[in-house]
Amino acid sequence: MSPLLASQIAAGEVVERPASVVKELIENSLDAGATRISVELEHGGIELIRVIDDGVGVPEHELYLALTAHATSKIAEVGDLDAIATMGFRGEALAAIASVSRTSFRSRPRTQVAAAEISAEGQTLSPPRPAGGPPGTSVTVRTLFFNTPARRKFLRTPQTEQGRCADVVRSIAMAQPNVAFTLTCDGRALLDLPPNQTARERALDILGRELEPELIEISADALDTLGTGGGTVGAAGASPIALWGLVGTPAVARATAAGQFVYINGRPVRDKVLQHALKEGYRGLIEPGRQPTCVLLVEMDPGAVDVNVHPAKSEVRFRDSSVVHGLVLRSVRRGLATADLTPRVAGAGSTAGASWNNRASGSAFESSPAPLGSPASPALFRPAPARTIDAAAFASAFREVRPAGNASLNFPALREALAPTRLAPPSGDASSENVPSPSASPAPLADTPATAASLPTVPSTGATPVPPAVGSMQSDAPEIEESLSPALQVFNSYLITQDEHGVLIIDQHALHERVMYERLLARIVGPDQRGEPGAVGVLERQAFLAPVPVAVTQRQREAAERLRPTLERLGIELDDLGPGGMGVRAFTSLLLERGVEPGEFVADMLERAAEEGWGTEGKAANAMPQPSPIDALVGERVVVEAVLHEVLDMMACKAAVKAGERLSDMELAELLALRQRIERSSNCPHGRPTSIRLSIRELEKRFGRV
Amino acid sequence: MKIIADRAALMEAANLVAAVVPARSPSPALSCLKLTAEKHGGVGTLTVAGTDAEASLEMTLTQVDVSQPGVAVVSAEKLKQILGAVAEGAPTITMELDGDQCKITGSHAKFRIFAFPAGDYPPFPDFAAAIGSATGPGAARSTFIHSAGGLLALVTRTVFATARETSRYAINGVLLKRDGRKIEMVATDGRRLALSRSTLKPQPAGGGAGGSGGESTPVSCIIPTRALNLLTRLAGDPEASVRIAVTDNRVFFAFYDVELKGKEGKDASGGGQSPRAILSSTLVEGTFPPYEDVIPKDHDKKATTGRDELSSAVRQASVLTNEESRGIRMTFSGKNKSVRLSSRAPELGDSEIDLGLTAYEGEDLTISFNPAFIADALRAVPEPEVMWEFKASNKPGVMKVGAEFLYVIMPVNLPE
Repeated sequence: MSPLLASQIAAGEVVERPASVVKELIENSLDAGATRISVELEHGGIELIRVIDDGVGVPEHELYLALTAHATSKIAEVGDLDAIATMGFRGEALAAIASVSRTSFRSRPRTQVAAAEISAEGQTLSPPRPAGGPPGTSVTVRTLFFNTPARRKFLRTPQTEQGRCADVVRSIAMAQPNVAFTLTCDGRALLDLPPNQTARERALDILGRELEPELIEISADALDTLGTGGGTVGAAGASPIALWGLVGTPAVARATAAGQFVYINGRPVRDKVLQHALKEGYRGLIEPGRQPTCVLLVEMDPGAVDVNVHPAKSEVRFRDSSVVHGLVLRSVRRGLATADLTPRVAGAGSTAGASWNNRASGSAFESSPAPLGSPASPALFRPAPARTIDAAAFASAFREVRPAGNASLNFPALREALAPTRLAPPSGDASSENVPSPSASPAPLADTPATAASLPTVPSTGATPVPPAVGSMQSDAPEIEESLSPALQVFNSYLITQDEHGVLIIDQHALHERVMYERLLARIVGPDQRGEPGAVGVLERQAFLAPVPVAVTQRQREAAERLRPTLERLGIELDDLGPGGMGVRAFTSLLLERGVEPGEFVADMLERAAEEGWGTEGKAANAMPQPSPIDALVGERVVVEAVLHEVLDMMACKAAVKAGERLSDMELAELLALRQRIERSSNCPHGRPTSIRLSIRELEKRFGRV
Repeated sequence: MKIIADRAALMEAANLVAAVVPARSPSPALSCLKLTAEKHGGVGTLTVAGTDAEASLEMTLTQVDVSQPGVAVVSAEKLKQILGAVAEGAPTITMELDGDQCKITGSHAKFRIFAFPAGDYPPFPDFAAAIGSATGPGAARSTFIHSAGGLLALVTRTVFATARETSRYAINGVLLKRDGRKIEMVATDGRRLALSRSTLKPQPAGGGAGGSGGESTPVSCIIPTRALNLLTRLAGDPEASVRIAVTDNRVFFAFYDVELKGKEGKDASGGGQSPRAILSSTLVEGTFPPYEDVIPKDHDKKATTGRDELSSAVRQASVLTNEESRGIRMTFSGKNKSVRLSSRAPELGDSEIDLGLTAYEGEDLTISFNPAFIADALRAVPEPEVMWEFKASNKPGVMKVGAEFLYVIMPVNLPE
C-alpha cells in the first residue's frame, strides 16, 4: 500500500467534509496556544479553507514533519495518553488533510524573523520556502478531495457545508472564551467573537443575546457529589470535577439537539452518559422527543476520562461515569427547580426571544424575562472541612483560579490549572487578565499535604461555611411569593389568577397532575430530593376481598414480574391467577380514594410496560455504554427510577382532577397554594406547561397604555 | 281534574317522588310528576307518580277531596317550589286542570303552570299484574311480605358497602336472596362486604294470589343502590308490611300502612288494603361475586367492644389520616383487654387512642383498616356491642352483631 493510499484511508476517518478540516485546524491552533483564530471559507470550504492563528508556530526545519503522519509534538510517550489535555494528539490530521487536498502550511514562530511555507498536493511535498507573515500559523486547504472524486461527489451544497463549518467554529469557540474567533465566508463575516470573554458572555454571544432570559446558570463541583459519608471514598476514588453551564427553560427546548453544547475539558462531546443525565434532569419538564437548549462545560482530571475512543474524539469514556452523571443530573435539576419556568403569552411586537421560539418550536409562547436566577452563587466551591486532603487541595486550587468579584468561573484558567501538559501560551499574556493568581505553575492535582497547606487558602479554616448553591440562588432570584389572588375557574378546566408578574392561566389538570406526582415521588424516595432514589418509602395499599382479575399476555406477565418490587413500593400487589390472567390483590389507597379502577389501571400499565420494555436490561445498556461495577449500579438505579417515574406519571394522571371538573373555592385555593410549594410546577409530568403568564407589561401594551 | 288536597301530605309525596324524576331531560315531560285523581265509592285518592328509565315511585294520598277525577302532568320542580312557597297558613290547596294549564290555589296565591298531555308520560310498571298473574312477561317469580322495620334494617346494614363507581357493574347494587322464610342482603365494593340476615314471618296464605307457590320459590337478584336509598325514605311504621315482588327484570316494594295478616282475601293488591307507596326498579344484570368464599371461618382471636366507644375512638384516630395515608392501626392487647388505635399522616402528625375491650380472646394482634369502613358499619347497627374476629394482620377482619349482621373488612398495609 502506498503511503498516499494509507493516508487517504486514514483521511477517510478524520476528514469527512470541510467541517472536519476546520475542526482539526482550529484544534491545532488551540493546541499551539493561539489567542486569535480566524477562519475563512470559500464556497462552503469546498474550494478554500484558511485558518490563521497567532500560536507558537512551527520552526522552519520542522515544517516538513508537520505534514507527515504520526508526527506530533503533543505527546511523546504512551504515558502521556493517560492525561491528554490537548485537543489533538493522534498526529494524523494534517497529514490526512494534505493527502486529499492542495494544502499550504505557513508558519512563523516568534523567534523566527520571517515565515516559511510548505505546500503539498496529494503525495507531492514541495520543499519549504521563505514567505512573509506575522507570527503564528496559517493553513490553507484548497480543492478538498480533488484526488478522491468519489468523496468530492458526496459533499453537499456549499450552503450546507458552510453551515456545518460554522457549527464547528461555534462549537469550539463556546468552550474557549479567552480566544477570539472570526469566521468569514466568501468575504462575509459570519462570526466575530472578542477575546477574553467570560464563559457566560461567550455562550450568550453564540446562542444569541435574546435567549438570555431563558437561560439558567448552573454550576457545581465534585465536592457536591461526595455527600455525607463519601469523604473516605473520595480519598481514593473521587477525581476532581467541576461543572458550569447555562440550561434553557422548557420554552426554548428544540426538536433537535442543535441547541446543545456539551464539553469535557473544552472538548465538544456527544456522550451517552451526559445525554442521559441531561434528559433525566429535564424529566417531566419537556415533552418527550424535544431537546433542551443548554451549554455544559465539565472540567475534570484528564486522567479520569478517556478521549482516545474514536478519531473524531466526540466520544469519551469516563473512569467513573456515575460521578459525572450524578453531578450533571443534580445541577440541572437544581437549576430548573429554583427557576420560574412559566411561559409568557407572546407579545404583539414579538421580540427576538419569540422569534427564536418560533424557529425552535413553533410555540406561541415566549418566556418570562425577570425571575431567572442571577449567575452562579459565590458558594460554588464549598469548603470541605471534613474531607480528604486530595479534595481539599483540589478545592483550594479551584478557589485560586476563580476570579475575584466575578461570579462566573474562568474556565480556561481552570483548565490551565488542571492540565499540566498543555502547551504554555506564547507570550503568557493570553488569559492572565482574568486570573488573579498566575497559572504559570499549574496546581498539581494529586497534591501532597505540604503543597496543599502552602496554598493561600486553607480550606478547613480559611473559608466560612456557606449554604449550598441552591439556597443562595433562591435568595438571589425574585421568587414569586404566595401573593396569589383568588382564582376564577373557566370552562371548568382552567384557572385564572394573578401574581405580581401578571395574569396566570393555569391548566387545572396539568397542575394537579404535577402536584400529585411530586407528592407521590416525595413519599417514595423520601426527603432526599437530590436526584438519588434515596430513602425507600412505600405507599399505603388496600387489600381486596378477592383479586381483581386482569387479562394479560405472556409479555405483560413477564413485565409484571420484572416490575414487582417497584410496584409493591407503589402499593400495587399482583397475583398470578394461572394462564392468561393476573389479579390485583392490593391497590394503592390513594388511587382508590380517587376512584381509580384497579383492574383498568393495571391492565393499561402492563400493556405499556410490555410495549415499551420498562425495566428491561436494554434500557440500562442504552443509558450506560460501558459496564463497570459502578455503572451497573447506576444502570440498575436508572432502570428502577425510570419505571418508578412511568408508573408515578400514570398514577398522578389518574389521581388528578380532570379538565371539566368543577372545583370549589377551597379546592382552587388549595391547588394554587400547592403550586407555590412544589418543584417543577411549571410543567406537568409529561412536559406540557401547567401555566402561562400574560405579563402586566403585555396587558398595558395591548390596551395602549404604554 | 279538580281536587282539594292536604298541602303537607301532598308536599311530602311530591318531594319523595321528585327524587326519582331526572332533573333535566331532553323531553320536558320526563321531568314531570303525574298526578292521578280517582274516586272509588265516594272515597277520593290522589296518586303522585314519577319515573326515570330505572326506578319508579307511586305514592297514593287519601287526604284529598276529589271533585273531578283526572290526570295532570306537571313539572316536578315547579310543583315542589309552589307547594313549598305557599304560606304555611294554607292547610289545603286546590288544583284544577284547565286544558293545558294547571291552576294551583292556596291561601291568597294563585299559580298557573303548563300541564303536559297525560299520554306524553311514560307508562308505569304494573305492580298489580306482577303479583296477580302466575305467568306472562311481567309475572313475579317470587312474592313475599316483610315488616317495614325488618326490610329497612336489611337495607341500611348493607347499602353503605356498595361500590360507588365501578365498572364491575354487578356490585353496584345489593344482592337480595330469599329462600323460604330466610332472607339476606349482601353488598360489597371489593374491599369490604356487608351481609345482613332476617327471618320472614309466616306468609299469609294466598298473599301471592294466583301464584303457584310463588311466595316460597327461592330467589336472588341484585337491586340498584339508588332504589334502596329511596326505599329507606319510604319506610314508615316498622310493624307495617311491605310486599316484595321480584319479576325477571324488576323488583317491586309495596308499602302498606298496616300489617297484612293472613287470610285477608283474594285482593291481589293486598287484601283490601291499597299500598301507600309502590317503589319499583329494574334489576342489575350480572352475577354477584361468590361472596361465601370470602367470609373467613378460621378465626382465633375475638374482641368485643362497645359500639359508641369504638365509633368515637375511630373518629378521633381518623383526624390524623389523609388520602395518601388512610389507615389506622389497631393494636389489640389481651393482657390489658384494650386496643390502641394509632394513625399517622405524613407532614401532619399522629395520634393514639386507647380503648378498653369488653372481652378479648387469643394472641395479641396488630392490624390496620380504613377507618371509614369501620365507621360506616358502626353507623348502620343499633346494637350497643360489636364483636370482632381476626386471624392475622394481613387477613380480613370480621365484625359481627348477633346473627343478623356480618361485616368483612380487608386490611390496609401501612408503610412502616
